[in-house]
Amino acid sequence: MNVITTMAYRQIRRFTRARSRIIGTILHPIIWITFFGLGWSRALNFPEAKALFGGVDYLTYLVPGIVAITIFTTSFMSGMSVIIDKDYGFLKEILVAPVSRSKAIFGRILGDSTTSILRGIIILLMCAFITHINILGVIPVLIIGVLLAFTFSSIGISFALKMNNLEGFGLVMNMITLPLMFLSGAFYPISSLPIWIRIFAYINPLTYAVDGMRYFLIGKSQFPIVMDFGILSVLCVVFLSIGMYLFEKATIE
Amino acid sequence: MKKYKYAIEVKNLTKKFETFAVNDVSFKIKKGEIFAFLGPNGAGKTTTINMITTLLRPTSGSIKVAGYDTVKHPNDVRNIIGIVFQDSTLDRELTAYENLYIHGRIYGYRGDDLKNRINSMLKFVELENHANKVVKTFSGGMKRRLEIARSLIHNPEILFLDEPTIGLDPQTRSHIWEYIERMKKEYNMTIFLTTHYMEEAESLADRIAIIDNGKIIAIGTVDELKSMIGNDMIYLKFANNLDSECVKNILNILNEHFGNSNIINGIFEIRVKNANESIPKIFEIALKNSWKILEVSYRKPTLNDVFIHLTGKSIRERGGNFDMKKIFAKRRGML
Ligand SMILES: Nc1ncnc2c1ncn2[C@@H]1O[C@H](COP(=O)(O)OP(=O)(O)OP(=O)(O)O)[C@@H](O)[C@H]1O
Ligand SMILES: [Mg+2]
Repeated sequence: MNVITTMAYRQIRRFTRARSRIIGTILHPIIWITFFGLGWSRALNFPEAKALFGGVDYLTYLVPGIVAITIFTTSFMSGMSVIIDKDYGFLKEILVAPVSRSKAIFGRILGDSTTSILRGIIILLMCAFITHINILGVIPVLIIGVLLAFTFSSIGISFALKMNNLEGFGLVMNMITLPLMFLSGAFYPISSLPIWIRIFAYINPLTYAVDGMRYFLIGKSQFPIVMDFGILSVLCVVFLSIGMYLFEKATIE
Repeated sequence: MKKYKYAIEVKNLTKKFETFAVNDVSFKIKKGEIFAFLGPNGAGKTTTINMITTLLRPTSGSIKVAGYDTVKHPNDVRNIIGIVFQDSTLDRELTAYENLYIHGRIYGYRGDDLKNRINSMLKFVELENHANKVVKTFSGGMKRRLEIARSLIHNPEILFLDEPTIGLDPQTRSHIWEYIERMKKEYNMTIFLTTHYMEEAESLADRIAIIDNGKIIAIGTVDELKSMIGNDMIYLKFANNLDSECVKNILNILNEHFGNSNIINGIFEIRVKNANESIPKIFEIALKNSWKILEVSYRKPTLNDVFIHLTGKSIRERGGNFDMKKIFAKRRGML
């Protein structure tokens, strides 16, 4: 238990030290909401559009997506800190400690997930003032956020453990984040995509997080909520296990 | 606490990357001993430490630490060792205190006990006034001291120091030597250190292994190693310019008494077993022959002389820019 809480503590402590990082990751979604959301919300202010977005204005439609994307990108960045730890040697300090590696990496994922969920909450609360989301939905949305954060922290860390430099990780991150974002239903319903692209949306974990959050915040969703939870939980367990396994096997060779 | 005679037993240890980084190395370190690996860049020092400390798997051979096999029981080994790595492994974003705190918690300490340990270790390395500063702002010497403090938090029985004073100024270096000596005295710790500074090995270590190209080429106490090439050198300079007749005469007399005498650039060079005993004798002879000696000096053989004797090159010879580049390249590619 000591190891899990200590590693989580370390990740959170590092996060609170880096003020510029905090501001940056909160500023990013705000830019989306204001410059992207407000603009389109005006442009799409006619009945047919509202019908397409489940009967709400576009800005409200956008909120679950922005929250999910915030959690997704920041937790994926977990991997970045693993690479930094390799570079600066801190990882060796963990590898040579008489502790369970799975617990150490779990603690790390826990800490990183906490910080990214925190950012999600901040965005959510800010949006609550300017849109028509269901504020009571925040609690179940957080649970989805936890599953989402764990899943992508694990994915980010798994990539990082197999990679040697920040540039390579940045490349992977850029290649992965943009498609996942646009193919998640965050900005428009998946149903408006051509069939062959829709397939990619269906295998995208982010899709189910966006859909589940939308269910609780707006009351509309494309898939049954049980399915969203089910798929996210399974993915979470799978990727968490992969991350733990890879860290268990990590050496300095 | 487990009882053991040898803190470390290494048998036929080999590690192969593209080539052999460590090549059939065997040695034993007694409990409470300070043991040094002395060798040039790329000799295989760090690779050996990485294997002993369970970070790398040997290609072949076996290692026991306090009786535990490093491959079969890595966590038992990890429990009783402390390490200061060659390259810093501190968390630069956190404070000195937080670094020690995290380390202590990971090793199972908590509460007041941990707090006391942290404070006493910070005091030990004289960083108590920098406890709450972020490590990023520390000088190289402060980082090293903090790492030493961290490696001691969990009371290890065996401590590994990989080039503990590399890149530090002489003053900081002698500080760290002092810590190392105190660790041995106060905690009866077994210490394995690597270095390419001869003075460091010489002044700290009970026994030294000289390593080059992945092989141990000599092992023993400082005196044992030096006795491999034998002798002290005594140098004599005479007052007046001597003619060749005179020189011949003096050489004859010196050879009669000591053997192994020479003249190089007008200075007489005598190889003796023990300079301290031979110098008075030289004065007796000088008195008898009414020689006028202007200067006497003597030199004990250095470990570098031993290294040159064994390998035909100096330890420092390969320490230039070329190797720094290699070190950085190596660091980048790690893990
Ligand atoms: N991970 C690795 N992959 C490939 N080769 C390696 C690796 N680590 C070390 N080597 C090689 O093994 C040899 C021994 O390296 P090692 O780091 O053990 O030397 P060292 O004695 O610690 O030198 P230094 O004084 O530079 O620290 C070198 O030739 C090095 O290039
Ligand atoms: Mg080294």
